[in-house]
Amino acid sequence: MNMHPRFSRCLVFLGFSISLLARAQGPSQSGGDFSSNPHPSVLPSDVILVKGAWSSASDSVTPLPEGGRVVKNAYTNPYFRLTYPVSPDWTEKYSGPPPSDSGYYVLAQIRSADRRKAISRGSILIAAQDLFFTLTPAGNVLELINYGKETLNADYQVEQPPTLVTIANHSFVRFDYSSPVAELHWHVLATQIRCHMVQFVFTSRDAKLVESLVQEMTKTTLPVEAGPISGRGGGEVPVCIKDYARDENVLERVDPVFAERRFNPVPVRVIIDKEGKVKHIHFLSAFPDQAKAVSDALFQWRFRPYLRDGKPADVETGILFGRSPRRATSSASEAVNE
Amino acid sequence: MKTIRLAAVLTLPVLFFAGIAWAQTDPGVRSSTGVNAGQPFASVSASANDFAFFQSGLAQFSEDQTVIGDNPGLGPRFNLDSCGACHSQPAPGGTSPASGIFPGIGPNPQSQVIANGVVNGSTNTIPFFVQANGPVREARFPFFFDRFGNPNPNAPNGGVEDLFTVSGRSDAGGCSLRQPAFNVAGVTRNIIFRIPTPVFGAGLIENIDDSTLLANLAAQAPFNRVGISGTFNHNGNDGTISRFGWKAQNKSLLIFAGEAYNVEMGISNELFTQDRPLPGEDQLGLGLPANCLNLAGVGYPEDITHSDGTSASTVTSDTALFSVFMQFLDQPTPSTIAPGGATSIANGRRLFGAIGCAICHTPSLTTQASHLTSDLSNATAKLFSDIEIHHMGASLADNVSQGGAGGDQFRTAPLWGLGQRIFFLHDGRTKDLLAAIEAHQSNGSEATTVEELFDLLSPGQQQDILNFLRSL
Repeated sequence: MNMHPRFSRCLVFLGFSISLLARAQGPSQSGGDFSSNPHPSVLPSDVILVKGAWSSASDSVTPLPEGGRVVKNAYTNPYFRLTYPVSPDWTEKYSGPPPSDSGYYVLAQIRSADRRKAISRGSILIAAQDLFFTLTPAGNVLELINYGKETLNADYQVEQPPTLVTIANHSFVRFDYSSPVAELHWHVLATQIRCHMVQFVFTSRDAKLVESLVQEMTKTTLPVEAGPISGRGGGEVPVCIKDYARDENVLERVDPVFAERRFNPVPVRVIIDKEGKVKHIHFLSAFPDQAKAVSDALFQWRFRPYLRDGKPADVETGILFGRSPRRATSSASEAVNE
Repeated sequence: MKTIRLAAVLTLPVLFFAGIAWAQTDPGVRSSTGVNAGQPFASVSASANDFAFFQSGLAQFSEDQTVIGDNPGLGPRFNLDSCGACHSQPAPGGTSPASGIFPGIGPNPQSQVIANGVVNGSTNTIPFFVQANGPVREARFPFFFDRFGNPNPNAPNGGVEDLFTVSGRSDAGGCSLRQPAFNVAGVTRNIIFRIPTPVFGAGLIENIDDSTLLANLAAQAPFNRVGISGTFNHNGNDGTISRFGWKAQNKSLLIFAGEAYNVEMGISNELFTQDRPLPGEDQLGLGLPANCLNLAGVGYPEDITHSDGTSASTVTSDTALFSVFMQFLDQPTPSTIAPGGATSIANGRRLFGAIGCAICHTPSLTTQASHLTSDLSNATAKLFSDIEIHHMGASLADNVSQGGAGGDQFRTAPLWGLGQRIFFLHDGRTKDLLAAIEAHQSNGSEATTVEELFDLLSPGQQQDILNFLRSL
């Protein structure tokens, strides 16, 4: 390869400048006198500066499941197209952890305090489980909640077994149980959106309070697709299909090259456009070098375009890179498969 | 009128103190029922050879190391001169001591190193975070400093910064080393601490197969209505689940012992074969000065297997004996009656499960067959841990990455023996069990909802949980 002489001189100069800059900054140190700097910079407190495997995405515009917020007395999530009104005396004090490598999301944690007595009255957890990566052998929300009921510890009492209910024209699976020893009641409402289980978990000592929270779900807005065994995207958002990245749909594949050997699962959701190209990647959990290696590879993949009613359509699917921690799942009806 | 006002004034304090009496409190370190940890397995005691091995391990674990002499190799940098000094509460193999609670153990030994002649007071100072009644601590700087003393968030460090040097000791020759810049690190918030993890029952943890841990992870998923979803740290060499240390960064007790001998005491061994410079000394590209190397005069590694030994105990290296000692230590025996009585403890245990604490703090796991001793085989390890690493949020984050664990991820701390621990959380920031529970909630923590459920319980129920935990 012939390199233009002027260009090569520029490269040499650039390299020399960088080395000078590195020398000027000096080596990193564990300690020293440092008395010449009476006002050193101070690190912020209570901030996670060093992250391990974390969520990220190939662009900052496409909504993500973890992108919801409690603002002005409502929890709003653009990815799920969900709005849940929050009463004025309920607040979100702490944000949740990042998505897990098995596809679990804490979307919001909301609590109510009795202001006079300064004691907690109840808790609302809004969570999601990506059905592409769940550790539980279930293919849809109904199966997932039923499995949860079957494996419920004997210390809990089932108040209402998983039942299909309709609230504000949307169907949910409702599951109520309690703990006699803790004197706590749990009412769970779950639905499926974009191949995720989205669940509202209401907990309180006060059975009337949790029931009122269930009734207030009529104020919640959800997408048309939401339902215990539906919720497979489509319309304004991509159709979601489990295992769309199987061999017969992948026309060109480039394997990611990981520079460092790690042993964590790297679950990835990709959106494939009408031409079969990857247009968005969401890493649920990956180290930055892993995310870069997977991005570099995935943007070279070519898929067979997905046809819906004979017309090309965007499709969303899940791919697991790295190590799978999962047991083999089995399900009577793989409802998220087409 | 005056009488009514006086009555009202008197009534208010009575109501106030009555309120305090109802409030739940940490019962404190369980001492009245004696020390229920630190014994070998019955199958070890029943075997003359195994028991001799255990006793040799205990002796080595408790021995004070020196730079030269019979127990050579200390330094040139170190945190203390004996395993047993840090792991002493409530018995050898435990965790950080404090004066006044188990008086036979005494004050924090790191606070006494000058008084005891372990370090020279003219060349070393006691760092500001070491207190007589505080925990034994290891310090780390999450980030390297630039040359002006500013922590650089783009240069992660996280390695151990040993507290003391051998400089000035009569057996240290001309080795002259400075202590790390702890005060600057404190001012800039570029310092975090770790306290010793107790090792009672550690052999059981070592002998839980990966398949058992993975099955437990899968079993947690259906109950995931409280925000929990952990993962595992892995050994970089073979990819299996690692399990020892605050971030589950160490694979085996032998590696754990070898690393501690090297990092905490400065003694090279067959697993970690060189004297260890500070992370900054490594980064500077200089390593340790030549006159601080081979201070023991025996060459490297300083701790070796002895081909001239006459018995298993005398052939075996110190590091391997530490490992045997830890493997043969039985799990602590919980109390069924103290504190608070049997009913409260039993109630607390059920409440602990009901609100979701037991998802991460898994009450028990079963070990696989053991080649070491029969009591390690197919045993029920009542560890109260899933050995997973979990996001614990911004308030507990130490910004140190180890293996696959990020700055806010920690192994679920095994709770067995908690009743006789003095300090809680990875850095020993509190002695109050209630404060330790409350610290589980913060931005980014998996445990926030579970802590909220704890808050929903009545004071009496919360007291039952505290009593249960202190019974362990």
